[in-house]
Amino acid sequence: MTAGLAACGSSSSSSSGSGSSSATATSCSNSAIQPDLYQKGQLTVATDQPAYPPWFENNDPANGKGYESAVAYAIAKLLGFTTSQVKWAYEPFNASYAPGPKKFDFDINEISYTPQRATAVTFSSSYYDVQQALVALKNGPIATGHSPAQLKTYVYGDQVGTTSLAFITSQIQPTAQPRVYQTLNDVKEALQTHQIAALVTDTPTAQYISSSEIPGTEMVAQFPSTGEHYGLLFSKGDPLVTCVNKAIATLKSNGTLQRLQKQYLQIYLGVPTIQP
Amino acid sequence: MILGGGGAPTPGAFGTTGRGPRLLGAGGRRATVISTASTVAVLAVLAAIFLLAPGSAQVRHTFFNPADMWQSFIGNPKKGYYSVGEALWLNIRMFITAEILILIFALVIALVRRSTGPVMFPFRVLSMIYVDFFRGVPLLLVILAIGFGVPALRLPFVSVQAVAVYGVAALVLSYSAYVSEVYRAGLNSVHQSQVAAARSLGLSQATTLRHVVLPQAVRNVIPPLLNDFISLQKDTALVGVLGAIEANEAAQIYSSTVFNYSSYTVAAILFLLLTIPLARFTDRVVDRDRRRRLAGVGQ
Repeated sequence: MTAGLAACGSSSSSSSGSGSSSATATSCSNSAIQPDLYQKGQLTVATDQPAYPPWFENNDPANGKGYESAVAYAIAKLLGFTTSQVKWAYEPFNASYAPGPKKFDFDINEISYTPQRATAVTFSSSYYDVQQALVALKNGPIATGHSPAQLKTYVYGDQVGTTSLAFITSQIQPTAQPRVYQTLNDVKEALQTHQIAALVTDTPTAQYISSSEIPGTEMVAQFPSTGEHYGLLFSKGDPLVTCVNKAIATLKSNGTLQRLQKQYLQIYLGVPTIQP
Repeated sequence: MILGGGGAPTPGAFGTTGRGPRLLGAGGRRATVISTASTVAVLAVLAAIFLLAPGSAQVRHTFFNPADMWQSFIGNPKKGYYSVGEALWLNIRMFITAEILILIFALVIALVRRSTGPVMFPFRVLSMIYVDFFRGVPLLLVILAIGFGVPALRLPFVSVQAVAVYGVAALVLSYSAYVSEVYRAGLNSVHQSQVAAARSLGLSQATTLRHVVLPQAVRNVIPPLLNDFISLQKDTALVGVLGAIEANEAAQIYSSTVFNYSSYTVAAILFLLLTIPLARFTDRVVDRDRRRRLAGVGQ
């Protein structure tokens, strides 16, 4: 835990600044964090439904499989919870940032940190650094024609309000308005029925969609990192974030996060990087 | 035989015209003062509850933040969101197209359902099934089924339309079922003697329908028709689920991009600006019609 304490200060960027100075002195033992919990004696972790691979497996967050499920249980373990003390709650992405008290301790749902979002909720430090990737039908024009100029000419689709959608509009800047769907499943459906030329999502999800979910699609390439990262979502000013950040720092320094990424996210080195 | 009593009564005598008297009720100056005081008191209590609630500041920031409202109204694709105001134009276009098609399609269905000939029997049954089906199935499901189903058929032309086209098709299918029933009620409200009189004058069945039945039937149902169209204006927002960036969808993109719901408030205000004029127009039509009837003179 000492390594974790040391690493904490440097890794938590801007989101968790408010409560940390007073709380660093306090212990992160299981009994010490009880007052900060949504329900005493258990860690309530939320995610959306369906829970997609490779972040979760078999749409069952409680099985400990998939990157985010494994990270959640690893954090819980460091905070002194047993596996059975971790309870999962369903929280749609669009509801996760509603004002007022939250029905969970933290939400783990591939939510990217942005400074603007951090004015409404509190984010933990990064548990995964994100790169966006392009998924298209194998024989589509975009599979071969994806120079920055060519990329602007396609119709894209994405899930509403995601940073992937923001990547399309801000970085690719296509001439045609992208189609914006409620769920990632709708986006995949649109790709399969040729309503869109390509979708943009994080590399692990892109890899999963193209390799095992939709036959006939391929991950064309990934885009260079924009410094984006996934953070756990807490209600604004939740003091629990300090101890969770310590746990994440520990998982980083002892190699657990790297091991889980290797196990579940299979970031192949062969994925080419292209410019938007 | 008092002279002043002759002719049509002045409409105002019934308290049915003019916005003021009808809203405030009878009673003159004192009543106006009391009603004003009561209104102010009620509003003050509601405002106090809202402003003094423990989470008031947070709710005001999340739903009514002027900076966010303005940003979402003008939009900024470079930051990942589109203008809610511009997106409303899509709602308006969908609404107008759908309304015209519904008025025509629903009338056809209503006439088929009211037809009497034995030849029309299968069509009567079909139209009945149609109305039952589309009144019973939630509009959102119809939109999803058409918006995702038809493109998946991979047919030439019909499967490659813009998303808004599928949205309008779904709106027309669903709303025509309701509106055809409104028409049918209107057609039934025209007394059979009118038809008999017209036919006895030698008018054909078609001419009777066109010049005697329909004008009266439609006039009778204008208020419920407009009521349905006010509802239709809002329901264009449901087409957003297909990926079309209409006002509600643009608001949702903004809200989940920056985690602030003020964009929804902007969308709500824009929809109000769209529906309130139509609601007032409906009131006027109803009032005018009522005046005309109370006057007891056919015009």
